[in-house]
Amino acid sequence: MKQNPFFYVLILLIALTVLSAVVANSHLENAATIIMVLAAFKFLAVAFYFMELRHANTFWKALLIAFLTIFIGLVLII
Amino acid sequence: MSQVTTKASLYYPPGGILMWIIVYLELFTFGAVLVAMALYSKDEASIFHESRLQLNTTFGAINTLFLLVSGFFMALTVTALKTNNLSKSKTYLKLTMLGGLLFLGLKTVEYFDKIEAGLTMGYNTFFSFYWMLTLFHVIHVLVGLVILASVFRTMNKNPEKLIMEDVEASATFWHMCDLIWLLLFPVIYLVF
Repeated sequence: MKQNPFFYVLILLIALTVLSAVVANSHLENAATIIMVLAAFKFLAVAFYFMELRHANTFWKALLIAFLTIFIGLVLII
Repeated sequence: MSQVTTKASLYYPPGGILMWIIVYLELFTFGAVLVAMALYSKDEASIFHESRLQLNTTFGAINTLFLLVSGFFMALTVTALKTNNLSKSKTYLKLTMLGGLLFLGLKTVEYFDKIEAGLTMGYNTFFSFYWMLTLFHVIHVLVGLVILASVFRTMNKNPEKLIMEDVEASATFWHMCDLIWLLLFPVIYLVF
């Protein structure tokens, strides 16, 4: 049976959440960077699939990616 | 029930332009406070680290899963409604709201633990940010649940009065709660 694409996105989101928790409990030197990058992927997956932003005008997509890049960049640089 | 044709217009993002303006304003607000939190952590690095370790990351991760699964069912609710499958849509919406209620239930347990341990808003800078950001988010989840309950009521009592644009806007608001949590969880619970 063909699964709804949302189902695959949910599986990916759960896997990324579990991975974030594993990285947070590890002693990796770049743990914070990895956690924030994983969070960015989850954020984009929810916005582009569950919120259907992928069907929206480029302006809205660009604005969201710009916000996310600046936010993650600032948190990591600070 | 009116149907919306999907088009990549600047003025019609899914959920409506006004809802998306709210989404960006909320994201910028929460984002700015989280960046301020990161700035404060530079001056009190050890306090932020020790405080972060007092948070229950398992609760945080489970709550993330509750919101993600809830968002998944919200997306299915909208899809089912677009194909005029009202009964499926109602079931998915109930599961969406259940996810939100489970999130609030676990958050209540977490807050109770923190208050019992004396880790209240005035405990230190980290917990001031923790309470301010997470409580503000909880208020959004509560508002989202009221909106979804109102959509569900219309689905049950007057399905002919259901407007697709309103359902999509409600879904966008609910997903926004998810997006905000996806920023709060790593920064507050994992990074410091």
